Amino acid sequence: MAGGQMSEPRGGFSLRRAVDGPAGEWFGLAVRLGLAVVWAWAGLAKVSDPAAAAQAVRAYEILPESLVKPVGYALPFLELALALLLAVGLGVRAVAVISGLLLLTFIGGISSAWARGISIDCGCFGGGGAVAASQTEYLQEILRDTGFLLMAAWLAFRPRTKLSVDAWLAM
Amino acid sequence: MSEKNREGKRTARERMQEERAAEEARSRRNRKLVVSGVVLAVVAIAAVVGVVVQNQRSKPETPVSAPVGAIGPKNLVIPDGPANAPSVLTVYEDPRCPACGAFERQFSATVDQLQDQGKVYNNYHLVSFIDRSLGGKGSKLGANALACAQDAGKFRDYHDVLYKNQPDETSDAFGSNATLISLAKQVPGLDTPVFESCVNSNKYSGWVSAVQQDFDKSSYKSTPTILLNGTPIYPKKGDEEISPDNLVKWIDAANQGKPLGTTGAASASPAPSSTAAPSGSTAPSSTAQPSATPSP
Repeated sequence: MAGGQMSEPRGGFSLRRAVDGPAGEWFGLAVRLGLAVVWAWAGLAKVSDPAAAAQAVRAYEILPESLVKPVGYALPFLELALALLLAVGLGVRAVAVISGLLLLTFIGGISSAWARGISIDCGCFGGGGAVAASQTEYLQEILRDTGFLLMAAWLAFRPRTKLSVDAWLAM
Repeated sequence: MSEKNREGKRTARERMQEERAAEEARSRRNRKLVVSGVVLAVVAIAAVVGVVVQNQRSKPETPVSAPVGAIGPKNLVIPDGPANAPSVLTVYEDPRCPACGAFERQFSATVDQLQDQGKVYNNYHLVSFIDRSLGGKGSKLGANALACAQDAGKFRDYHDVLYKNQPDETSDAFGSNATLISLAKQVPGLDTPVFESCVNSNKYSGWVSAVQQDFDKSSYKSTPTILLNGTPIYPKKGDEEISPDNLVKWIDAANQGKPLGTTGAASASPAPSSTAAPSGSTAPSSTAQPSATPSP
């Protein structure tokens, strides 16, 4: 913390200082909690019906049948774990990197389904499976996930946030 | 002299500060490593726990119990009509699916007639995936109530009543057992205490889930999926649109030269020969479609 103050001794507007200073850390808190809500919502929507979660994975026609259930079963719990870690702010940078990788995987999967011309719901927040060709929303789904990816990227580059376990551990 | 001494002290102090800073940096690095390790461990444990827990919670693909007279390798199929009829109409329907309702309202009279003439029998797969995308329980509870009606030997009539009274897709009216039971009153003799308890206890929820999982693994993606002797005929058979007239024509063509099925007084389900032990190997009709492997 002290380092940031020393490197910018003079007043005046500085974007870098705004990003690194308390304002940036409050903003980081908002991003962190926002992403936590996203993961919690995604996880909870998928956790209640294991067969539906497996079918959402199967509908992408990417994974072999033997991996469909493990991935469909594990994913909601993984998302809930990320939500929990983000909510308390433990290991924010690592969690942000994992979140980003997961989101890139999702975006890749949706793009692949789109490119192959199959008609599915992404199953991002529950649901999933085949839909009528007129009901696909690939662009919206990709844009939405890209937004979440930006949030994860912010936290990966600025993991220091207010009210976090990380701060309490003086990391 | 004193000047030098002071300098010496200062460098000593600086050295100590540097060491302390280095120590602090080292310990911070260690804390970061530990925290990253904790994060990875939490994420990995969550994934493993997820697989174990969801595996335990999910209903088996082979149902523990099935409605009376259900056929197919896992007893997932409700037969309807004369079991020895020469043609089979395989129907995948979701109780909440509007296109299924439209199909039933347009075709049920024709199908009933074809069955009663011994020309065709139906294999129903009661799928229930609309609950997943729209929320609610109407698909699953509706399918369960249909299974209960099958137990009572009133599948066909109750099936027709349900589709005639189908709510909007977004309305979850079938998600209420009270609604399903009150509709059962339109089928003479169906609304018994046994039927009501079967509906209210969601007796065949495991079977309903198994039927849906079987559909999930099939190559069919929407309902209604309708096959005549294994060939898809909805919405088209080749270039020809499905219509009641065409359906009769197609079935007559497929039946040419084959003896018609026996049509006893009881054209109602369960089909007479299929009430035997539903153990799969004794499936009553050799022409029954094995559920997920339609001949292309």
